[in-house]
Amino acid sequence: MARGFKRRDGRYAAKLDAVERGLVVGLMEQVHELVAPPEPSTPGEAASDGDEFDRIVAGLGGIGQGVSLSADDQVPELSGDVPAPRDPALDRLLPTANRQDEQMAAEFRRLTEDGLRSRKAANLSTAIAALSAPADGKDDKVSLDQEQALAVLISLTDVRLVLGERLGLKHDDDVELLEEQASSLPPDDPAVYALAVYDFLTWLQETLAHALRP
Amino acid sequence: MSIAPVEQETVSPDEVAEVDVPWITLVWNDPVNLMSYVTFVFQSYFGYPKSKAEKLMMDVHVKGRAVVSNGTREQMETDTEALQGYGLWATFQKDD
Repeated sequence: MARGFKRRDGRYAAKLDAVERGLVVGLMEQVHELVAPPEPSTPGEAASDGDEFDRIVAGLGGIGQGVSLSADDQVPELSGDVPAPRDPALDRLLPTANRQDEQMAAEFRRLTEDGLRSRKAANLSTAIAALSAPADGKDDKVSLDQEQALAVLISLTDVRLVLGERLGLKHDDDVELLEEQASSLPPDDPAVYALAVYDFLTWLQETLAHALRP
Repeated sequence: MSIAPVEQETVSPDEVAEVDVPWITLVWNDPVNLMSYVTFVFQSYFGYPKSKAEKLMMDVHVKGRAVVSNGTREQMETDTEALQGYGLWATFQKDD
């Protein structure tokens, strides 16, 4: 059973078994693929091949859609600022930076997007490497230094943002609504699994955020 | 206290506005980011004391958004970029 992060002697220790670690690393790899700056040869092409997210959210359709209450009220100015349609999860990771001035938003994106994507990708790589290597030869132990812990913390955010977007989370209550709906589904339903994964990541990040408090 | 208007070069209203209007960085509420994490980011990026970081976080959570910094446009773009790097929903704009 997993144990959350605790600060110990300047390091951040947790217990995650091979399955749990593989799950987190696998999702981080998917987000890395999504967020890393596109190759010049295939501009604008985001990752959409058969991946773990697809597996997790397969069959989610009805539930995910049914939850988005009045999305219009929530982010009225968000659409229209981005010229080409692209993965909405990318727009969540790199949101339109000026809601009043489309030109400024476009200029900001032009100047910052590659750098932000590279930084996020580098964070994810650090986190993936840190979580892939078992500490002290003991299989379930994770032990991170300050830099690795910060990379894992930020990477967990990016993974949860993408997963949250796939689950259709728009309002603060949406997770609870989804959980209510999922409680009437059979336990092997992909929606139940996806939510369990999301909750697990939330719990893990919460423990790390607390452990890292200055 | 008052300042007597002395001789002054005439400046068009547009130029005055361009110089005087400060810019702000906003963080918007979203259902994914954790309260503990948002507080952590405000503390570690801005160096805000815990009480200020927590108050701003609660403003984001309860009011839907909060002004987290102000200054020149360049500074606000830097803050926005950094906060987006942390995964927060940050934007910048003129303070009006």
